[in-house]
Amino acid sequence: MVKEIEKTGIPVVHICTVVPISLTVGANRIVPAVAIPHPLGNPDLAPDEEKKLRRKIVEQAFKALTTPVTDQQVFEWN
Amino acid sequence: MKLVVGKINIKAVVLDDEEKIEGSTLHINKQNIIDLVLADDRLADCDIEIAKPGDSTRITPVKDVIEPRCKVDSESGIFPGVINKVNLVGSGRTHVLKGCGVMTVGKIVGFQEGIVDMQGPGAELTPFSKLIEICLKLKPKDGLDPHQYEEAARLAGLKSADYIGKLGEKVEPDEVETFETLPLLEQIGKYPHLPKVGYVYMLQSQGLLHDSYVYGADAKHLVPTTMYPTEMMDGAIISGNCVSACDKNTTYHHLNNPVISDLYKQHGKEINFVGVIITNETVYLQDKVRSSDFVAKLAEYMGLDGVIISQEGFGNPDTDLIMNCKKIEEKGIKTVVVTDEYAGRDGASQSLADADKRADAAVTGGNANEVITLPKLDKVIGQLDYVDDIAGGFDGSLREDGTIKVEIQAITGATNELGFNKMSAQEV
Repeated sequence: MVKEIEKTGIPVVHICTVVPISLTVGANRIVPAVAIPHPLGNPDLAPDEEKKLRRKIVEQAFKALTTPVTDQQVFEWN
Repeated sequence: MKLVVGKINIKAVVLDDEEKIEGSTLHINKQNIIDLVLADDRLADCDIEIAKPGDSTRITPVKDVIEPRCKVDSESGIFPGVINKVNLVGSGRTHVLKGCGVMTVGKIVGFQEGIVDMQGPGAELTPFSKLIEICLKLKPKDGLDPHQYEEAARLAGLKSADYIGKLGEKVEPDEVETFETLPLLEQIGKYPHLPKVGYVYMLQSQGLLHDSYVYGADAKHLVPTTMYPTEMMDGAIISGNCVSACDKNTTYHHLNNPVISDLYKQHGKEINFVGVIITNETVYLQDKVRSSDFVAKLAEYMGLDGVIISQEGFGNPDTDLIMNCKKIEEKGIKTVVVTDEYAGRDGASQSLADADKRADAAVTGGNANEVITLPKLDKVIGQLDYVDDIAGGFDGSLREDGTIKVEIQAITGATNELGFNKMSAQEV
């Protein structure tokens, strides 16, 4: 899906836990997620802390989306 | 560590008052097993039915299959740390009741529980159609949480297999085999000219009813470690997957791991089988990186020349498999991976979610997306109303005429990644 959308000229950020698979399938902008059952949150954290984490991931994704890339790039946030 | 395994061939199982093994007939007392199972107050009901190879019987949803075994003249018991003391196992003597299995069946817990047909095309795909199955039909108490039900069902199966297995303690086995692996330096010194081969045993440990236990420890919290191969034969590793369909290892598979038995067949002849490295398949990338780093480090530390890696499950564990393979190969150690495929119903899609050019030797257990039509059978042990919902099933899988159209991933053990079956896939 990432590649099909990018073909139309719209940049895509792939937020995913298993970064090696994303690299194998050819995503250009990759933001690591938390875990497979809960990619964008962490139920072990207190609600306030979890909200900060969620915001951090989304903000990192926006940063990745607006960063020009020439090759596959992983945008780490932790 | 040296283990003597005595095999007692069971050719018939009868429900009786007296509990004994006479000739090749196993007599079990139904009420005694029911009482043992219902000692767990999380279960509301238990019934026992016997299914024989060739019967017109369909069993579903199947959770686990366990082979009855016992330790002989020992303070230890099988399944240590789970239903017996957490003693180290894998040495001494063990008796096995070959030809039968305890199968836990009943209201669904997880969507990947499977189907076992005792007859017809479905029976060809599962090793469990060749065993006399002692089916425990379980019913949870109303309102019991799924994870509690999973644990109660898991323990019911293990306790029953332990109880039945003990009937074989004093019986003279039909066949006796001895397996031995020495401490590392001694083992390497014993066959100095043979290539040193190890086995990387990947255990499903993603949580959410996808779990394995090692001496009772939850495998997701382990760092990779080494084990003697004989420990597995005494139940050191058990399935906590309430999701044992096509490519999850049941406890029966762990007890009878064919990678281990085949490596032993060549032990001292073509290879020096020096040991097993167990590792997990987790849901955090950091854990996957750490575990695969440790696996490669241990393979190097043990001085291995070659490694066989078996996977359990599919999808993101494909990455664990590839990371293990790649990192071990980078140490200059040759690898062969054992996996299965999800290549679409026509077999035309990419088989694994991850890949690397160093994974250039692979054994496959077949394409789990292949579709099969199972005929209507006369008897059902369990219940059919979940067939549309289990993995491999789809809306309309259960048809009005009683036939079932499913992907073979719904069949317990169909594409097992330990090489338990005879099926494979071919590139065309």
